[in-house]
Amino acid sequence: MEIDGEEARLQRKQATYIFLDEPFEIQKETYRGQQYSQIYFARLHLMRALLYSLVPNWKPHLPICTVLELEEGRECVIIGTLYKHMKLKPSILDEYSKERSTTPLVKPHNFMHPDDHLVLEDESGRVKLGGAELLPSAYVTGIVVALHGKETSAGEFLVLDVLDAGLAPQKELPLNSGEDKYVVLVSGLNVGSGTSNPLQFQLLVDHITGHLGDEKEQGIAAEIVHVVIAGNSIEIPRGLLNGQNLASKDQSRLFEPIKELDILLTQIAAGVPLDIMPGPNDPANFSLPQQPLNRCLFPGSATYNTFRSCTNPHCFELDNVRFLGTSGQTIDDLQKYSEANDQLEFMERTLRWRHLAPTAPNTLGCYPFTDRDPFLVESCPHVYFAGNQQKFETRLLKGSDRQLVRLVCIPKFSETGVAVVVSLCIFSGMLRIIKGTGLTQKSQHNFQVCLFFMHHTHFIVAWDRNWGGLKFRSCLALQCFSTMINGVFLMVKQKIIWWSMPILLIFKR
Amino acid sequence: MNRSNGSARKRPPRTPKESWPNKQQATTPTTPVIDDEFLDEDVFLDETLLPEDEESLILRDIEQRQDFASRLAKWARPPLSSAYVSQRQSIMFQQLDIDYVIGDSNRELLPHSSGPAAIIRIFGVTREGHSVCCKVHGFEPYFYISCPQGMGPDDISRFHQILEGRMREANRNSKVPQFVRHIEMVQKRSIMYYQQQKSQPFLKIVVALPTMVASCRGILDRGIQLDGLGMKSFMTYESNVLFALRFMIDCNIVGGNWIEVPVGKYRKTAKTLSYCQLEFDCLYPFAWRYSDIISRHPEGEFSKMAPFRILSFDIECAGRKGHFPEPTHDPVIQVANLVTLQGEKQPFIRNVMTLKSCAPIVGVDVMSFETERDVLLAWRDFIREVDPDVMIGYNICKFDLPYLIERSQTLGIAEFPILGRIRNSRVRVKDTTFSSRQLGTRESKEVTVEGRVQFDLLQVMQRDYKLSSYSLNSVSAHFLSEQKEDVHHSIISDLQNGNAETRRRLAVYCLKDAYLPQRLLDKLMFIFNYVEMARVTGVPISFLLSRGQSIKVLSQLLRKAKQKNLVIPNVKQAGSEQGTYEGATVLEARAGFYEKPIATLDFASLYPSIMMAYNLCYSTLVTPEDARKLNLPPECVNKTPSGETFVKSNLQKGILPEILEELLAARKRAKADLKEAKDPLEKAVLDGRQLALKISANSVYGFTGATVGQLPCIEISSSVTSYGRQMIEHTKKLVEDKFTTVGGYEHNAEVIYGDTDSVMVQFGVPTVEAAMKLGREAADYISGTFIKPIKLEFEKVYYPYLLISKKRYAGLYWTNPEKFDKMDTKGIETVRRDNCLLVKNLVTECLHKILVDRDIPGAVQYVKSTISDLLMNRMDLSLLVITKGLTKTGDDYEVKAAHVELAERMRKRDAATAPNVGDRVPYVIIKAAKGAKAYERSEDPIYVLENNIPIDTHYYLENQISKPLLRIFEPILKNASKELLSGDHTRSISISTPSNSGIMKFAKRQLSCIGCKALISNGTLCSHCKGREAELYCKTVSQVQELEVLFGRLWTQCQECQGSLHQDVLCTSRDCPIFYRRKKAQKDMAEAKLQLDRWNF
Repeated sequence: MEIDGEEARLQRKQATYIFLDEPFEIQKETYRGQQYSQIYFARLHLMRALLYSLVPNWKPHLPICTVLELEEGRECVIIGTLYKHMKLKPSILDEYSKERSTTPLVKPHNFMHPDDHLVLEDESGRVKLGGAELLPSAYVTGIVVALHGKETSAGEFLVLDVLDAGLAPQKELPLNSGEDKYVVLVSGLNVGSGTSNPLQFQLLVDHITGHLGDEKEQGIAAEIVHVVIAGNSIEIPRGLLNGQNLASKDQSRLFEPIKELDILLTQIAAGVPLDIMPGPNDPANFSLPQQPLNRCLFPGSATYNTFRSCTNPHCFELDNVRFLGTSGQTIDDLQKYSEANDQLEFMERTLRWRHLAPTAPNTLGCYPFTDRDPFLVESCPHVYFAGNQQKFETRLLKGSDRQLVRLVCIPKFSETGVAVVVSLCIFSGMLRIIKGTGLTQKSQHNFQVCLFFMHHTHFIVAWDRNWGGLKFRSCLALQCFSTMINGVFLMVKQKIIWWSMPILLIFKR
Repeated sequence: MNRSNGSARKRPPRTPKESWPNKQQATTPTTPVIDDEFLDEDVFLDETLLPEDEESLILRDIEQRQDFASRLAKWARPPLSSAYVSQRQSIMFQQLDIDYVIGDSNRELLPHSSGPAAIIRIFGVTREGHSVCCKVHGFEPYFYISCPQGMGPDDISRFHQILEGRMREANRNSKVPQFVRHIEMVQKRSIMYYQQQKSQPFLKIVVALPTMVASCRGILDRGIQLDGLGMKSFMTYESNVLFALRFMIDCNIVGGNWIEVPVGKYRKTAKTLSYCQLEFDCLYPFAWRYSDIISRHPEGEFSKMAPFRILSFDIECAGRKGHFPEPTHDPVIQVANLVTLQGEKQPFIRNVMTLKSCAPIVGVDVMSFETERDVLLAWRDFIREVDPDVMIGYNICKFDLPYLIERSQTLGIAEFPILGRIRNSRVRVKDTTFSSRQLGTRESKEVTVEGRVQFDLLQVMQRDYKLSSYSLNSVSAHFLSEQKEDVHHSIISDLQNGNAETRRRLAVYCLKDAYLPQRLLDKLMFIFNYVEMARVTGVPISFLLSRGQSIKVLSQLLRKAKQKNLVIPNVKQAGSEQGTYEGATVLEARAGFYEKPIATLDFASLYPSIMMAYNLCYSTLVTPEDARKLNLPPECVNKTPSGETFVKSNLQKGILPEILEELLAARKRAKADLKEAKDPLEKAVLDGRQLALKISANSVYGFTGATVGQLPCIEISSSVTSYGRQMIEHTKKLVEDKFTTVGGYEHNAEVIYGDTDSVMVQFGVPTVEAAMKLGREAADYISGTFIKPIKLEFEKVYYPYLLISKKRYAGLYWTNPEKFDKMDTKGIETVRRDNCLLVKNLVTECLHKILVDRDIPGAVQYVKSTISDLLMNRMDLSLLVITKGLTKTGDDYEVKAAHVELAERMRKRDAATAPNVGDRVPYVIIKAAKGAKAYERSEDPIYVLENNIPIDTHYYLENQISKPLLRIFEPILKNASKELLSGDHTRSISISTPSNSGIMKFAKRQLSCIGCKALISNGTLCSHCKGREAELYCKTVSQVQELEVLFGRLWTQCQECQGSLHQDVLCTSRDCPIFYRRKKAQKDMAEAKLQLDRWNF
């Protein structure tokens, strides 16, 4: 680990890494005409076994029956897959069969409607659910639950109580070694898109690799043991991919962002172990689980053994701390078809339902598995993250069985300039955010650069367009910042270097 | 199971024709088709009842089935109140069906007659939901003949004797004591021709039984020998009126109205013959001289509907592989039933009867039986217990009901077909040939279920809507936006032979088939519309579906004639002897694309108005002979442009104008009430009524023009069209004379097109608003020159307007100057079923671009890119599928047709899944050897998908899309054909689909570079393309992405339709827009995955 400067060399910390992506890998499986019923079947089968074991504690006096065995008026427990009947849910049939209307269809971001209702289904049949206990707005299609209630004369099942599987058992957290070790979580780099700022990304890289800041800052950088990029790293111009052969000009337009990303990733991989997950916009397959980005996209970084292209969802352990997360599609889809106070609540629900992506395959693309459902959460993670969210949010979730889970929403880096740093001793305020330079369209004039450490340092720098307006607020250590206003200021150790357009970036090694 | 593969089963072989001679069609000579057969058929009560020995068998059967009956008992109708039981309450009910039966005349009510007599039975429902069977005695069939000159009242008894003698000769086997009951002389007048004298003597001949009307008419037609008069044949009057209708007319009862029988006027039948709760006898009021039966005019309280019970049902049969189920072989395995009370939203009974065990279904009463006999009998018991008033379903009249009956015959269950309301009376099955101008000739079976109205939604759909497919699936998709799973009939037997779970699957499917007709009925307000139609026209509800248009007009005519003391002659149906006449005028269309607003002036109900304005009627027509003789003053007559003479209304008001006036006035009233109405049910009634009135008014003209109708009168219809022509010409002239720059207007107006009852005018002004102002002005000005009630109305402006030719145009339709209402197209909307979807999509999109977006280059570009996509094989296969119905087997076709040949070939491949007669055959045209005939190049789309067979894209370009395209573009582009159909876009290198046929069989497959297709020995890319990995990979992966999105959405949609997540999708509905895509997505996905896997080196 090379650190700039003449001070004593800092050693980057290490952590033992266990790769746990196998369930999400699609190796020999192919499309042989299988349908989606099997994955639902597998899900129901596994979840039911689990719920069966919970019901005796929950409602010891009640019999468990199938939808078929329901009798009018008799209280019982039924277990099955929920199906949410939604009025506004877009249907592919409409796209094909409806006459073209003169007014374009309005596409809402959320397809909820007051008339939506839930249906419980098992292999034997379906029953419409009623009662105030089970609000359709909080549930989506694909969840397996146990319901206590009775059949009404109208043929509905009046729900009196609901039991979901709850948090999965959790591996005991390792004893705190007293050492601070950090994992950087970042998503939505969107290299090549209009919102991405190359300098901002470079700053992040420099921060991680320890090329920025003073000794103290570098000391922190040295404590970063792992970097995870949770999806949407590249934005490639889709318009070009229309099946035609590309002109050489377009070839480079397509290739440029990929190359740029590779260069930056190479810098990280040279110093820190790096996991990259595919996201919905990446050049990877669409259906969950998304398979690792092909190594041919990263000719530079792929040569490092610290570089690892992973699946989405992604699961791993660092020093026995279990991480699990997605690039965010699962949560985004829940948001379209259900309601919650914040994104963390959606995340919490998926853990309680013990299913990472309940809406797959119904509204979320998914591989038609035949014998398993890889999205079931068998072991509760210690850190559960979702990439590409609107803003950074975090909460500690406590389970009934003393489980503790750190939920993290990773914002889109290209829009917010925020990367999240999680300490491996996750429960002692060990979360911090690196916020890079946030040059957004809105705040071209007065914008803030902040490095925000939850328990270490805390400084905010505000730069004005006019150099004279530079203000330091609670500035503890102004070591090195760079930002850009109508050109580029790069400030290294209080030296200001000015470049006019175009942007050139020079890196000192 | 009937509609297992959808379209086919539920569709009769013939596609319905355009409506009968309406105004548009009069241009072509009307061909003689017998509209209806008006024949009564006497049914003897004794014959319908089961013989004594069988009756005891049934009694035994009923005892045995006590258990089951008690299970059904909870669904019985509400019990009678004590007022009803003790006959202290007058009975008020809405009648739904009226028929008659021949029985012994009632001794108590009619002490003076004996022998067999017709008994009218009125079935209905009271407000409380009690079923009613009202038997009316003493009404006798009759008709009129004109009294021969010189015959006085004294000669009648002699005439009676002679006629009785002839009748006896003709009906030797009959046991009727007296054939001709009596003959009386009455003063009436024939409806035909203007006559100055008020009335003439007619003889009213009353016969014993309804069928004797026809036989007596035959005798009189042929002529009888009369003393002193010699051999004389007679013209008969009103001898073609069905007995039940005759009764309704004479009692002033209209279809579906309320009838009241006051206390004391009815007697409870001692030995009930029906299952109705209230069965009673009463006398035909004529004999009593005051009303025993009060017919209520459908207004206010009496416009409401009784809570009658509607049963929607569907059956499934287990067919053998490769055969359509036949009642002689294939068992009925399931019957699903839903019963709804009229006015309620949800059915109150849902059940399914299955053969062999079936897993329960929530909210549905599943009844399983071990033998087919038990299933059938259970259904019979169910019908009896629930006692539905209306039976609905999809194709029940042609499939489900006849199948059940024939199946019970095969199984020898004599006690099954007692489904009607008459105790121990079997359902009658009759082979009928129904032909109507409107609907073509159909052979079918008619099942008479006494006292229950059959309402087959398929028939209704075919009657009322022009759709590209009449399968239940596509009809529900169209009206309910709901697809249903379509299980191929070859799978049905497999499901039946599985376990309780698979049979449950089938039951769910069967229930859905029973549910959809009910939904359609509710959604399209059929009950309201048809009941109102029955009320307006006065015919029983059952006539509306089973008979043609003319009986509706005839019924109104008869009612009116009765009021006016007129009689209607029974004109012999003598083929098309009467000549044809000139139809409506179509002004020459000045084809072009008009970018200025075009105002449209419409005549409001033109033909009815003409008939009213000029007093055109049978009774006002003056024969040329009479015209000379009578020497009528010219101010009292109208000479029509076609040369006929009609008297004006001051001399004689015509009946047809009067009927029309009443209809239109009633419509006006209904529309006004509709505006006032708040209650949705009341609104539905009123809306149904105004619609019925409109249709009725318009069909009067057609009635006079139906050359082989009940009472054709070419003089009237040709006069109507000739006036119509005159008015169009007149309008054109006035517009072009008045709206000129000379007359002080900005521009010279130009009539660019006129058709039957509308004239399109280009006033030359640039804005819609200005065109509307001028349009209104013109309409008012020209209306002033016409005789009332003919009125020219300004309704809409087309802007822009694409006029292609006569009857073919498209335009944006504006009724207010702010925003257009819709895109209106006529004649170019390619809804024809034998076109592929591509044509329809292309035409719609082009019109949209031209008219709405005003982007002609864009439209051209769109056409070009579509053609290019087509030629480069990038077209979605489902857009190219052509569908045709297979009506008979290959040998019966004279000319070889593509779909027939294909069906033969498919049968050779796999007889089990090949289409059968009655199925619709989808196919695509594939590339084949040069010179191969089109019919040899048809192929099953699924087979094409599975085997990668190349499509003959040029066939589609030349035979499918070029004509409709050129039609649209010719008025717009100079060299449309050259511009669109040739050029760079047609020279695109076509990407050939790999083929396993022809020379490709000998080709060896070798690995090629993904980038440049160069042959390589191993790996993914050739040495030249190394370095382009990222780019090429992105390409491959983006294809995979697209397919994955499609795959997920398509297959989850099918799960949605199917209504189950845990079971595989079985649906094979080829009508479904995503059926082929789904199949293709699956196959493409597998291939794309393999391609992607090549990168994992």
